[in-house]
Amino acid sequence: MIEIRGLVKRFGDLTAVDRLDLTVAAGEIFGFLGPNGAGKTTTVKLITGLLKPDAGSVRVAGFDVATQTLQAKRVLGLVPDEPFVYPKLSGAEYLRFIGELYGVPLSEQRRRIPELLAMLELTDWGGELLESYSHGMRQKLVIAAVLLHEPKVLVLDEPIVGLDPKSARLVKELLRTLAKRGTTVFMCTHILEIAEKLCARVGIMISGRLAALGTLDELRTRSKGDLPSGRGGSLPGRDGEPLLAEGRGLEDVFLSLTGGHEYASLLRNL
Amino acid sequence: MLRLLFWRKVRSSVNTLTHLTPYERARNGAFALAGLGLLAGLYGLFHKMLAYLATVQLVGQLLLWKLTAMVMLATFMMVAISGLLTSLTTLYYSFDLKFLMNAPLSLRTIFMDKAAESLFFCSWMIGLVQVPYVLALVRVNHYGAGFFLAFLLLMLPFLALAAAVGIAFTLLLLYLFPSSRTRDVVWVLSSLSLTVLYGLARFAEPERLIRPDALKVVAEYLQYLQAPTAPYFPSWWLTAALKAAAAGKTAVLARYAALLYGSAAVVYAALVALAGKVYFIGYSGAQAGRQRRLAVTIAPMTERLLGMRRELGALFWKERRTFFRDVKHWSQILLVMGLVFVYLFSIRRLPLDNADLKSLVSFLNVGAAGFVIAALGLRFTYPAISLEGRSWWVLGSSPVTVGAIMRQKFLFSAIPMTLIALVLSLATNHLLQADRFAAWLSAGALLLITWALAAMGIGFGALFPMFTVENIHQIESSLGGFVYMASSLGYIGASITILAWPMQMHFQQRFGRADAWNWRIAGSCAVLLLLLNAAAFVVPWTLGQRTLERYEQ
Repeated sequence: MIEIRGLVKRFGDLTAVDRLDLTVAAGEIFGFLGPNGAGKTTTVKLITGLLKPDAGSVRVAGFDVATQTLQAKRVLGLVPDEPFVYPKLSGAEYLRFIGELYGVPLSEQRRRIPELLAMLELTDWGGELLESYSHGMRQKLVIAAVLLHEPKVLVLDEPIVGLDPKSARLVKELLRTLAKRGTTVFMCTHILEIAEKLCARVGIMISGRLAALGTLDELRTRSKGDLPSGRGGSLPGRDGEPLLAEGRGLEDVFLSLTGGHEYASLLRNL
Repeated sequence: MLRLLFWRKVRSSVNTLTHLTPYERARNGAFALAGLGLLAGLYGLFHKMLAYLATVQLVGQLLLWKLTAMVMLATFMMVAISGLLTSLTTLYYSFDLKFLMNAPLSLRTIFMDKAAESLFFCSWMIGLVQVPYVLALVRVNHYGAGFFLAFLLLMLPFLALAAAVGIAFTLLLLYLFPSSRTRDVVWVLSSLSLTVLYGLARFAEPERLIRPDALKVVAEYLQYLQAPTAPYFPSWWLTAALKAAAAGKTAVLARYAALLYGSAAVVYAALVALAGKVYFIGYSGAQAGRQRRLAVTIAPMTERLLGMRRELGALFWKERRTFFRDVKHWSQILLVMGLVFVYLFSIRRLPLDNADLKSLVSFLNVGAAGFVIAALGLRFTYPAISLEGRSWWVLGSSPVTVGAIMRQKFLFSAIPMTLIALVLSLATNHLLQADRFAAWLSAGALLLITWALAAMGIGFGALFPMFTVENIHQIESSLGGFVYMASSLGYIGASITILAWPMQMHFQQRFGRADAWNWRIAGSCAVLLLLLNAAAFVVPWTLGQRTLERYEQ
């Protein structure tokens, strides 16, 4: 599971993540939404130990990322938004390398690497250098790599972007299966439909702060009744309407919080 | 449009400088000062050498200008080779090429933009080293500011012409061999040819020409000194222009300046015209990834079988595979082999007939071989961390420590560098038949220097990581690369200075002085050497490790 307490990250004058408190339970698929530049990727990097926080803490499966870094990283799997991988390794070699780094036994690698390549339809490309892979193929390979070492916590930044519909569906199914097995899935996405269908809860981040948090039903229920304000709770939309009125989807919640309806008049002038 | 493209580069550079954190500003400032210190040291060295040459009766000025012509020729060659290596990446593999190719820009404009980038990266550092040389020349011969200004103005077309050689070769290579595999073969064969040419040029023993005893009469020697050095090369035009500037012959200066600027204009106009026709063909070919079907075998890693720990073995395995699959490294390895061969040949040809002199040269060889190792370190060790590139996240998010990554990179560099150091040291001592003390001292010192330089290379590479650059030459020619080279040369100089004391005592003993060895001095030297090496190993390594641990991707 992931426990984030009072997390702060600043870049000069900009506070990218501002006092973030969040808990994602084991076996949960959590959707992390927000407009561009809201601080989602920064949060992902803080969770995975790629950035050091200015304040607060992140615990992954009970390990503090700042002080028990290696233990935390051992149980973490990251799929970044830009899957840069070593261009001079072949697909199978990349998996082999990751397997060794994460201590996957050789016998296990011998069994799982061909399986994973086959599952993600990369068998024919397993011997090709990664420099000849497309973006989507590299994305699939990185997903295969995290599956190889079976992390307890999976952090994905836009995992579906660049995938063909078949692969996208496969990845969604994979995430569901992993969650059922107890893997914690923390996923940043701009594809709200995926968040709606896949995630048990969603959090919406705006300007480094968590502006809304809860299950879709919770957001809907809360938005129908009282509208508590404050971090971590559901907020009224900018137009004063409830966030998730009957029949309205996550897109409306998102746009109410982040703005976007006002673009309609701009679009008319195009 | 070209102006707009240049503007983006200027803005990017200005923004980079204005957005440095206080730590980065302090670090860069401190190390830039160290770099200036190196330039000042070079200036002192050049001044001493030129001042000595100037005092040689009758031929002093001739020697001085002959040396200047040779320095300029060497500069031309170095920039041309550097241009060859830089332009391949800059012209065909830059990150922004997709964007530029999609933008409404003509191919010629994009080519000019990328050619200018190649020119800058392949020449700035080599060009900068010319400055202390020319300043020393100014001081020795009491030339005015006008001379120095003429030098600065003429350097631009000179460097541009040298870089054009590399750019033109790359442009034609990619046009004629758009298929990646053929291109790789041609690239390696070209490097091999260059190595062979270098070897042949060396085996022709050009040094015989500057030894008066090798020539029959004094008149021949004078004729040699007065004759132009490679008269059809821009290096001679620059030398002749500088000579004219020194003599106040404005018309001659103007003629050579016109020749340099005119040639540069003609060459680049021809390149731009050629690029309009061939650049895109090469670019398209370069975009196709190398199709290399490798067998999917999941066998134990050799490194593990050799007893390396899991993470270290895996990192080493990855490094080995990615390094040797990059054809650009092969050409460099061929050149290194040629360099080592020529180095040993040069040692063999040294006209030494005295046993003491041979032992002295064996000791001084530590400095020369150390310089070769430092140059290799700049090319192979220093960029090792930055070459992780945008894939750094893989290691950054995996359960390996920065220390382990650095140790693996150190090992990967130190092993071949140790082999080269051993060859340079043992073969030299064998060829020279140096006495046992000198041979052991020089071999031990060179090994220590090699490991320290490898540790410094990794340390400085981690201190100045450049994960987003596209070109290894941008890494080498960055501020960090300059600092690494400056620190390496300073370290080698300090090592030689410390070791000179025991060497001196050894010679005194050989010359018959019974109480030559002062064990207090010898002990002090050992302590100083220990402190120097501790600093060389620990300071850049620790600073680099800390920087990399805090690196924010």
